[in-house]
Amino acid sequence: MSEPRVGVYVCHCGHNIAGTVDVEHVAEWALNLPNVVVSRENKFMCASTGQEQVEQDIKEFDLTHVVVASCSPHMHEKTFRNACARAGLNPYMFEMANIREHASWVHANDKDGATNKAKALVSAAVSRVIFHEPLEPMQVSIRPETLVVGGGIAGIQAALEIADAGYHVYLVEREPSIGGHMAMFDKTFPTLDCSACILTPKMFDVGAHPNITLLTYSEVERVDGYVGNFTVRVRKKAGMVDQDLCTGCGSCWESCPIRIVDNVFEAGLGHRKAIYRPFPQAVPKYPVIDVPNCTYYKSGKCRMCEKVCPTNAIRFDMQDEVVELEVGNIILTTGFKLFDARRVPNYGYGRLENVFTSLEFERLTNAAGPTEGKIVLRDGETPPQSVAIIHCVGSRDRNYNTHCSAICCMSSLKFAHLVMEKTGAQVYNFYIDMRPLHKGYEEFYHRIMDEGAQFIRGKVSEITDAARSPEEDGKLVVVCEDTLIGQQRRVPVDMVILAAGLEPRADAQAVGYMFGVGCGDTGFFTERHPKLDPVATVTEGVFIAGACQGAKDIPDSVAQGAAAAARVLGTISKREVALEPIRATIDEERCSGCRICNNMCPYHAIDFIEEKGVSRVNPALCKGCGTCVAACPSQVITGAHFTFDQLMAEIDGILVDVLSDQPIVEAV
Amino acid sequence: MTTRQGNMFFDRVVKATPGGELLAKCLQCGSCGGSCPSGADMDHTPRALFAMINAGMENEVLSSNTPWYCVSCYACTTRCPQQIPITDLMYTLKEMAIRTGRYDHPRAAKFSETFIGFVEQRGRSFEAGLATRYHLFHHPQQVVKLGLMGVGMLRRNRLPLRPKSIRGVDQLQAILTEAKAIAAREVEA
Repeated sequence: MSEPRVGVYVCHCGHNIAGTVDVEHVAEWALNLPNVVVSRENKFMCASTGQEQVEQDIKEFDLTHVVVASCSPHMHEKTFRNACARAGLNPYMFEMANIREHASWVHANDKDGATNKAKALVSAAVSRVIFHEPLEPMQVSIRPETLVVGGGIAGIQAALEIADAGYHVYLVEREPSIGGHMAMFDKTFPTLDCSACILTPKMFDVGAHPNITLLTYSEVERVDGYVGNFTVRVRKKAGMVDQDLCTGCGSCWESCPIRIVDNVFEAGLGHRKAIYRPFPQAVPKYPVIDVPNCTYYKSGKCRMCEKVCPTNAIRFDMQDEVVELEVGNIILTTGFKLFDARRVPNYGYGRLENVFTSLEFERLTNAAGPTEGKIVLRDGETPPQSVAIIHCVGSRDRNYNTHCSAICCMSSLKFAHLVMEKTGAQVYNFYIDMRPLHKGYEEFYHRIMDEGAQFIRGKVSEITDAARSPEEDGKLVVVCEDTLIGQQRRVPVDMVILAAGLEPRADAQAVGYMFGVGCGDTGFFTERHPKLDPVATVTEGVFIAGACQGAKDIPDSVAQGAAAAARVLGTISKREVALEPIRATIDEERCSGCRICNNMCPYHAIDFIEEKGVSRVNPALCKGCGTCVAACPSQVITGAHFTFDQLMAEIDGILVDVLSDQPIVEAV
Repeated sequence: MTTRQGNMFFDRVVKATPGGELLAKCLQCGSCGGSCPSGADMDHTPRALFAMINAGMENEVLSSNTPWYCVSCYACTTRCPQQIPITDLMYTLKEMAIRTGRYDHPRAAKFSETFIGFVEQRGRSFEAGLATRYHLFHHPQQVVKLGLMGVGMLRRNRLPLRPKSIRGVDQLQAILTEAKAIAAREVEA
């Protein structure tokens, strides 16, 4: 092999680097490093002139390796790799030295120190880069089918976008119907559209779409494979109703003698039967039997539904069915869980009968709900004359959830409007900060103020029925400090609505683990980049959308559902994706077959080949994390682009005497 | 470490209180003021006092009656969404007010001293003694009115007439003597 010829480029990044690091000096000094044939500085390496300089020098100086000292590889590694590729150099013959995040920004008060550190980092990169090997990205084909997990509004939107584009979608939903939380709401802010009126057409489209296979009352059990080629096992729970025969006529649930409090769809306010469909517009329209509550499964008697069914669709002996799906991409839209207001004992939910949660109020005010839309106290008949709406319940509170739940300000305003419109009651909103952030939201806030709702700035400290004066007798007293006047207030009301916050679903951790998606501090699924890649995850081919990624309202959930669909359609239309060739490989000749690496791999990428007695890495699953490389007792696993030689050379390079002006002797 | 440039008072309050750095995270929500059983009698609610500390209003804060009306029920602390040690901050402010002689409420300070006197003597509070001694010394004209309430409490067994002491009071007193000596050295330093 001919002598390596390295080009070094030191970036000013405007003042970001040059304000602290002596960029000219670093570039001049780098010329002393072994194998460096050209070294330059540039105001903005990422600009087209900077990239063109690299391309020109590769041709003119016949460069074999390139080092750019600038920002984080997360920012521009791809930019410079592409520049190398355009000039005919394998893109992996490039190395980046991060002298911004690692030098100028963290040592802003120490210019000499930052400059010396920048020199050491450049030296490390130069020393390492000559050991780089040309690598070729791996192409994998993409199956055109997509799995969407969760049939709320985000999942519905994602499924419809992909199906309308002509590709097949499997939509898996845990409950007997799609619709999610949105199906429970009466009106939606800030336009006060009827929730069902805008949702049910979409639900119907999903049910009738030729490109959508709807798997309701089903759960994903296992996921294997990798981007483009996932195998997913789904358990279809036995609903005990033959969907080919059932017409959804309703005779079965009308005659079922068992009445159960519906804690899911009716938020505990209403009832359903042991054979039921959650709500009239359910998609699919077929009911399911709630086995633990059905008399037949307890005593072997009853069978009332079977007797009245005009099409003989009841199948008491139906078994769960397990189906395997082959899909290219997965979108998780598993939604949120409402904060349990019982956890705040001083608000009295569950103890004081006229304290309601936001979801209970949604059902109370819904025309299809248990009171047919009448806003009444727990006795079922008395309309309230005064209502307190408490914001931030379980949100923005280190004792519960630190995050802002993003929707409660607006839903509280909506509740205020509905209460005033339907009952004429006086409404008090107790808030810490009003956050009506999106388009039309501030205007809605003004409208509600105009309609006569009162706003009291103060986090409620207590809700009590212990009266201190005749006006408080028989009322719920909301105690707080009105922080705008700096005094305690006691506000007697008939009804309290707790705007409970949004939490990750209870099984988010386990679901995330199954799909290779992490959960952040707040427990919601973690996106690949909070700003620039909000619907992708660290696992290629797995996307997230809606409230499973963080508390958000309907418009944001819809936008994310569509965004995730666009990402999926992008890979489908390319038919294949290029995977980074930074993977581990096992030297099978020397592998002892100890299998230590098998269970260490966080991506389940290592299989044991029984007939050969050795382990093998599935390159499509491997993320190049290096765990197996470090774990292998025989040191026969190599991480491409992170070889032993490369890392040792990098360490040698970083240890050079940066203060010496003498030419540096090659260390290795 | 939390610092407020040019606001040494904020820094001193934070430094003198275990967990005090959380004060910088106050949301001004008012759950402390709303929870406080003495809130109605305070010059400023705890929340307002924290805003004043943030504004560097040392004189106004240390002459406020607010810390002296704190009954250490800890309702504010358990409910604070930012887990600020509010009750402990009140102790810091009381201590600062006594040391700099800036409190405007001699009654409150004297009540506190009488209370602590019993604790030092017996290892626990003695309400009947506290009430009689404090009122006879500081405002005897109130005695008759309060005496009636005392009789009511006596009748309901809410006001034991005999003081109780803890075991090993001498050891407690030794600890307190040593603690006072340490505090005095700190003040000097």
